[in-house]
Order: sequence, then C-alpha cells, then structure tokens
Amino acid sequence: MNHSQTLVTYVRNIAELNFLAENHNPQVKIELILGTSLLSRFFDNSEHELIELLRKARQMNFSVTLEWDVLNQEDRFLKTIQLIEKLPMHDFFAIRVQDPGAVSFIKEKYPWLKIHLILENGNHNLIGLKKWSEFLGPQLDRLVLSNELSKELLADYSKALSIPIEILTFGRILLFYSPRKLLSPVEKKAVHDQTIEAFGTSEESPHSGFPLIENLHGTFMFNVKDLYLLDQLQALNEMGIHFLRVDLRFDDSFNKFSKTILELFAGTITEPEMSLRQNNPRPLIKGFYNINKSDVLFAKLKNKRTQRLDDFYIGEIVDVERDQQLALLVKSTHWDLSQLPEVKMITPEGKEKILQFTWVKSSLGESVKSVEQNDLVLVPYVNGVTVKTQVYLNPKT
Amino acid sequence: MSHWTPELLSPAGSLEKLKVAVLYGADAVYLGGQKFGLRQASDNFTYEELAEGVEFAHSRGVLVYVVLNSFLHDKDLLELPEFLTLLVDLKIDAVIVSDLGVIETVLSLTDLVVHLSTQASCLNIESAKLWQQMGVKRIVLGREVTIQEARKIKEATRLEIEMFVHGSMCMSFSGNCVISNYTQGRDSNRGGCAHSCRFEYSLDFKNEDSMENKKAYFMSSKDLEGIRLLPEFIEAGIDSLKVEGRNKSHHYAGTISKVYSEALGHYKKHGHFLSDDMLNWESELRKVSHRDYTTGSLDVYAGVDSIYNQRVDEDNEYVVSGIVLEACVGKHLLVDVKSAFMPGDILEVMPFKTPIENLSVTFLESLSGVSLPKSKPGSVVKIPYILGAEKFNIIRKKA
Repeated sequence: MNHSQTLVTYVRNIAELNFLAENHNPQVKIELILGTSLLSRFFDNSEHELIELLRKARQMNFSVTLEWDVLNQEDRFLKTIQLIEKLPMHDFFAIRVQDPGAVSFIKEKYPWLKIHLILENGNHNLIGLKKWSEFLGPQLDRLVLSNELSKELLADYSKALSIPIEILTFGRILLFYSPRKLLSPVEKKAVHDQTIEAFGTSEESPHSGFPLIENLHGTFMFNVKDLYLLDQLQALNEMGIHFLRVDLRFDDSFNKFSKTILELFAGTITEPEMSLRQNNPRPLIKGFYNINKSDVLFAKLKNKRTQRLDDFYIGEIVDVERDQQLALLVKSTHWDLSQLPEVKMITPEGKEKILQFTWVKSSLGESVKSVEQNDLVLVPYVNGVTVKTQVYLNPKT
Repeated sequence: MSHWTPELLSPAGSLEKLKVAVLYGADAVYLGGQKFGLRQASDNFTYEELAEGVEFAHSRGVLVYVVLNSFLHDKDLLELPEFLTLLVDLKIDAVIVSDLGVIETVLSLTDLVVHLSTQASCLNIESAKLWQQMGVKRIVLGREVTIQEARKIKEATRLEIEMFVHGSMCMSFSGNCVISNYTQGRDSNRGGCAHSCRFEYSLDFKNEDSMENKKAYFMSSKDLEGIRLLPEFIEAGIDSLKVEGRNKSHHYAGTISKVYSEALGHYKKHGHFLSDDMLNWESELRKVSHRDYTTGSLDVYAGVDSIYNQRVDEDNEYVVSGIVLEACVGKHLLVDVKSAFMPGDILEVMPFKTPIENLSVTFLESLSGVSLPKSKPGSVVKIPYILGAEKFNIIRKKA
C-alpha cells in the first residue's frame, strides 16, 4: 500500500466508528462517509444519530464527508434542503452529491464547502468531466468516477484532469434505482418505509440472485457479482488515482472484512483476495476495468443492407411476384426512367442484382415514363430479389 | 378566439413513421441518426433519410428534433462533429442531449438549440437552473416529476419545459439503469437496453429467520397515458408534450398523433374538453398496442398501481393491417401489408383529419390481379377504394 492513497469508506454507527479508530494504522489515510436516511440511499440513521457520529468522528480526527446521493423531485428536494440547512455543515470536510440540483444548491448556498461530485452514471468523456470541473471551479475537490471506465481511460483522465479522482474498489455494483416501491407490493407484509431485502432471479436472464433493496427512497437492484479492484492498488496509484472507496454496508461486510481492508491499506497484508473471495456472498469481478466493449453488439442489432445509403438511392422493393414482376416503391425524388436503362439492387443478404427497365407500369397496368417520390411502380422480375431489396442508380451506366 | 396549447411532439422511428406522425397531426417530431441515440435497434435515419424527413416535416410547418442522448464515450465523441455539421446544414430545430460532454461539443461547434433529454433525470428547480447555466433552452423533465412540480420549475427558470404525455416508461430514474451493461454486455445508456425490467423474477425475501419466494413482474411499469390531464398540462404552461415510442409501429405513431392532435385542436378552438370527446379519445388510445395505462407521476408520484405485473407484453385491441401506398380513386387501394387479413373482413381506415371509416374487403388481389385467399405481411395487395383514403393512411382491424 502506498500511503498517498486514501481509503474512503462508509460508517453507519458508533460501533463501526470505534472499530476503525481502534484498528487503523495512523499512517493510513481514512476518509469517512456519513449519511442520514433522508439524504442517502442506504443510510438509515436519523439526523440526531448522524450528528452524534459526526461529533465523535471529528473528536477522533477522522476526515468526514456527508453523503447526499438521493435523487429528488422538487417537492421532496425542498424537504431535503430543509434538513441540510439544519446540519452543522462546517464540520464536514466535503459533501458528496450526484443530483445536479444538489450540486447547484451547494454551489449557491455553501460556496465554501468542498464538493465530491458523484459522476458514476455516465460521464464517460473527458470533455464533460472538464466542463464539470470548470463549472464548479475551486469548490470541486474530487470527481467520483464510473466503474464503466476502463483502466486506460482512468489513467488518461487522471493525467488530463487537475482534480483528484475516486473510484469504487470493493463492494456491490448498483444496477438500478427507481423511486417507486416495487418489493412491498409483492411481499405484502411491509410496514411503511421499512427496508425490505430480497434476491431476484429471472429465467429470462442467465444470472441469478440479484440483491434488491426497497427503502424510503425506492427500489435498488445490484449486480450478482461484486466489484473487486483491491489487487490493483499499485496500478491505480501509478495512474494517480489516490481515493479508493470500499463499500462494506451490505451483507455484514463491515464485520467480515473491515479488519482485512485496514490491514491491506496499512500494507501489513498484500493479497487479501482469497480471503475476500471465500467470504464474500457473491463472486467478485473487475467489471469494465480491463476493457469496456458494451457497444460492440450494436452493429448486430439491425441489418445495414436494408438501409438506404447514398445519393444514388431510388427506392425499395416492397412486393415480389415470382417470375412476373417486382413492385418498386420510389423513395427518393423525381426520376426519368427513360434515362435509366438499368439499376443496381442490393438484397437484404447483400447480393447485388441488376434490373433492366425493359418495361415499367403503374398499378393500373399503364406504361410509366417518370416517377415521383412515394410512387409505386411495377418492374420486371429479377431472380433472387426479395422484399426490402434496396434499389440504386448503377453508377457504371 | 384561439386558446394556447402545448406542442405535440411525436416519435419518428423511421422516415415512413415520420411521415405518418406528421400527416396525423404532430407539431414536432423527434428522431435519431444511425448513432448517438438510445434506440440502436430502431431503423433510425441515414443522412439521406434525415434530409428527406426534415424537408417533409418543415414543408408542413412541423419541427424536427434530433436525439443525441446517449452517454457518449470519448471515442463516440470523435465522430460527433461531422454529424453536427450535417444537422446544421439540414437546419434541424434542436438536438436532444443528456451528456454534458455532448452539450459542450454541440454548443462549442454550432449554434444548434439544445434540449436536455429526460435521460439526464432533471427533477427539480435547482437542477434545471444548473442545466440552464450549461446552455440548454428546453428541459425534458424526468418522468418522476408531477405536472405541478413542472409548473414550479417553469415559473422559476422560464425555460421551455417538455413532459412525457404518453408511452412506455422506464421503471428506473432514466440514465440510472445499467442492468443490460452488466448482464448482457450492452450499454443501455448508448442504445443497448435489453428491457430486463420487463422480465418475470422469482423473488426470495429475506425475513428474520426464513426465506419466502414469490414470482412477479415487479420491475415492469404500466404505460403512461396523460390525455385526461391535458387541462392540467395546459394550465401549467407546459410547452411540449412528448409521446414515447420510436421503436413502435406505424399504427402507434399515427393513432397517438391523431388522438392527441385532435384533443389539443379541440381545446385550441373551444378552450375546454368535453367528457364525451375524452371518452372517444381514450377509446382510440386503447386500440393501439399497449400495456395497461397509468398516469404515472403526472398527478401524484407513481404508486403500486403503476406496476404492470403481467406476463402478456401488451394489449392488442386492434392490429395494423397495412399502410396505404396508393389510392387510385374509384378503383383500388394499394396496401403495404403489416398483418394478414382476408376477403370479407371489415377493416378500418384512419384518415388524417376525419373520423375512422369502415372498409369491407370485397376483393383482395395481388398486384398482377390474382385473387388472394389471404394477405401476406411483407407484400403489397389491392383492396377496394374508399372515399377519402389517402397515401400513408393506416388501415387496421379488430384483433
């Protein structure tokens, strides 16, 4: 472990705080994320409990940030900022926010408070990241980046940005966040705003056991595998990524893993992977850290050969009567057919065919000399041509 | 006296659907090119189709907005400037964007008007103020926002406000779902959504000392239908009412555009809605393929009754039989067949502006005049002409 790196982790109660205070090596930099049920997706502390935790954490000289990561519609947002206004904001080192509304509010009302901007949804380009940095200026203290970014991109961004970067290195991967309560209608036993946990499996998905949580803020689904990048601390350090978040809020992970994590960051152990893999309730993955190819399948989602391509486009075959005729729907502008001895056709399978206009008729059987856009004309049959064949001028003629 | 009404913004998943939406009464259409949108499986528009679509819409006074609402990665952004140049040349009316990098690219290279996509999940006044500072002129609010909240956002910012009025809904906050990314290897925020929220799930609930199993389509949302709330939209001054559905059928594009256009047209003329008309419009909206309808969060935040806990994907009260390709007055209609019908069937023709007409299929022929026992999807057939039918009219049949 390089001591320029900071372990960023969540603390939910006094017992966890005491454990960290008692077990962490003073050389290891730790930053604590605190929250309360109204501001945070997964904290269930009251405002009073938050303030008590904050007071004790400050006494222990921990650096403490406040998490405000819920997304709120206007009426709920107003209630949230009423709470913010009651909190001792000067006691927090920074605030972590995702909703642009929260960003705007903090920028305007608390210009002295550092912002850790959560950009974990999207924000996969440098232009956007630079714009966020420019917009928030010196108030921006850190960018919390997406786990969909590959290591190459993380390295590039770290080099190109003057703002420190934080990423999640161990914990659940959030897949879905809805403000609607989706589990309680199925369970039918729930008390109002009580947290419900479940695991979901669909026969239509190759994966099973998606962790689910319903709480005050809605419903959340997590991946069936958890993220593990703790074997990459050295590589991340070389990239200049010094803020590494570990999320131990679920599955009793704090009790199971906090000691190991502290030892890892203190450098007293170097390879906790086996222990974590054996004891974590789900398999561990690197996600998109090595490579993100989540756009490569797009090319297969539709047949490019059935698309019109260029200025030579005439139209599309919409009907075929074998050995008799083809129906051509003219889709581009006016064509004088007497000037077009032949045209090129490309079938949905990609085969090229030539059509000679030995005759062209209307649907009434009358000879046609020229056509306009959206006209339908009958032309000679060509073997192998099917519906959706695209018709083009033959540049060779 | 003419009363103010919002813009009706319809989806155009293809050039043909654009024409259908325009002819059936949309004030504006939104569409995607081959890249940068969220519907990779949709036909979308090639440059040539885009040029033709813009010309078709503009010549009828209809605005065209182009979606660039993917969360683009750096490599995607490299290709964007060239496409923006084309959009400027075509004089499109706005781009719909969700990613700050895209907004910055658009505004630094062009003078195109930027609308913030619902994908950015703008939910409150403060958020709208931030995006306003980033240069957007219109905000498509998150579908979780009520009309009354939208009104407050509009009053506080004076931005143009657009809200969804009809169509399928994400269950997640838009832009906050990556299920497809991790389970299918397809980036849902770049157009690869695999609709995992529509699956049936077996749910194991963690109780104190046991597990309980139940099956449910717990993440699937009913479809939005906001026609009854048109007075509230109007009163709140919402600038644009958006219909979801670039992946949906010609029947959908035509019917929804026709119904909402008629309703807004009625209000524009009379300043009110009549309950009988409302019933008729609702009846028409039930004839297109849909899941059960809900008002979502338009009135109050969506609750239990907004969940579509059913296996059947969509209700099909009517199916589209075909699109009129040619109306040969007094003789025949040429119909591009979308679903099978037979001689003797009673079909319905949907004129652009006038009421639906019944059409009896007294003959059914191939283009060469051969009588057919049944029409085949993917073919063109001749059926009897009916007065008032025009090219691009939709023909449908009770399912």
